[in-house]
Amino acid sequence: MFELYANALVNGILLGGVFALLAFGMNLIFGVVKIIHLAYGQCVMLGMYLVYTLVVQLKIPIILACLISLPVMGIVGVVLQWLVINPLLKAKANPLTQLLALAGLTIVVENLAQVTWGADLRGLNIQLPLISVGDIYLRTSNLIAFLGALITLGGLYLFLNRTYLGLAIRSIAQDVDSARLMGINPEKIYYITMAVGGLLTGLIAAFFSPIYAVHPHFGGSFTMMAFIIVVLGGIGNLLGGFIGAFVIGIVTSVSAVLTSTEIADIITLVIFIAVILVRPQGLLGIRISR
Amino acid sequence: MLEVKNIDVFYGEFQALFDVSLKISEGETVITVGPNGAGKSTLLKTISGLLRPRSGSITFFGQRIDGLPAHKIVELGIAHVPEGGRLFPQLTVWENLKVGSYLKKSRQDFPLAVKEIYQLFPVLDERKRQLADTLSGGERQMLAIARCLMSKPKLILLDEPSSGLAPRVVSRVFEFVHQIKSQGYAILMVEQNVRKALQLSDRAYLMESGRMVKEGPKQSFLEDPYIKKVYIGL
Repeated sequence: MFELYANALVNGILLGGVFALLAFGMNLIFGVVKIIHLAYGQCVMLGMYLVYTLVVQLKIPIILACLISLPVMGIVGVVLQWLVINPLLKAKANPLTQLLALAGLTIVVENLAQVTWGADLRGLNIQLPLISVGDIYLRTSNLIAFLGALITLGGLYLFLNRTYLGLAIRSIAQDVDSARLMGINPEKIYYITMAVGGLLTGLIAAFFSPIYAVHPHFGGSFTMMAFIIVVLGGIGNLLGGFIGAFVIGIVTSVSAVLTSTEIADIITLVIFIAVILVRPQGLLGIRISR
Repeated sequence: MLEVKNIDVFYGEFQALFDVSLKISEGETVITVGPNGAGKSTLLKTISGLLRPRSGSITFFGQRIDGLPAHKIVELGIAHVPEGGRLFPQLTVWENLKVGSYLKKSRQDFPLAVKEIYQLFPVLDERKRQLADTLSGGERQMLAIARCLMSKPKLILLDEPSSGLAPRVVSRVFEFVHQIKSQGYAILMVEQNVRKALQLSDRAYLMESGRMVKEGPKQSFLEDPYIKKVYIGL
């Protein structure tokens, strides 16, 4: 019995790594562009359909397909900024209008996917071997996703801390007017942030493709998951999102073993609500009083 | 070097500046005094491009700059230190200085420039790894001014550098402004602490209810009975 829980714990941690990447993207976009990207999971879904099309229909090697999905999804991010988000910012739309626009985008993307790829599950159908460490079995695909996510997060940390562009992104998140006075063009930084966020959806799609089969409503649950993690960690707080991702990952997979997958979602949400009742600002958030 | 000509500035329907004009020559220190709400900060924000005038013109070395976005105006050499410093609270002292050198032309000189700043303010060197949020009021103001120097400006706009500081700290901030002035930067300062600021300046303007009501060399301001009574309190 013990091995079962240990297995669940380890797989929860592995899953947490990819969730951390998902939450990072959403957090970054919220922190910089000040928009809740409700279609973030749907973008991951688009990336997975792209990988599926390249691998299954065009017979391109999976590694190459994954590499192609990165820049393509980065461009999708830029296009979203241009077509959806920039007009909202220019019109100084209120937060409700912004939410409605992004919610509308999820409907567009999901239906576009359904028209293009149909409602069936689309998977790569590849079987990677299991790795056994003592009594614990790890799925290779989960392990690759976890390590890849950690390396990416490390790279993003260096990018945000060591480069002028990263510094500009963090400055804009803290004080837009002050950043403008330093010579930083906010509009350019918004585009770059959406491009980075888009690249991340492409990368997450690459990690998810061997693990999950994709369907037109696949993205919704991941948008929800990312949003819960971001709020749990403290919205806009990157470290909080990182911790929140592992909390949610571990709670979900351990309670799935203890009960069932459906009950696990309930347990996760109950824990989430309990945390928010005690700390409305999230685990590491700062309470803003106006 | 800077010429503001007959500008009108609005916040929505509310007019904040009426037909305001002002001139600054190279190396000159100019102070604008006036009560709260006279439009002094609005004037600085309009020059640095955070606000746009509805009419009138602003030229810098003969080039029209009204209508340019703020990040283009910094590039031309106008640095604006807003009221309260507006540091990036979650960046360290060093990172704040580094963002100050964001402009392409100032990046290369950053290591040297930051050394000079640390020599001028050893306390910033001691606290370079601390978040700006953890600094005292005086240190924040010093860092805000130091940060604007990183962009190698020709003209510095200082908005109420002494606001909210203890009297002893105020003297240190003014001492620093004096040091900058002696290095040849042109300065346009807005200040409530009229006497101290006037002593630093070459020329002054008086602004009331969004209009320029008086302009002259510092001596004429120090001796003006109205200004003495209302703003200096002697």
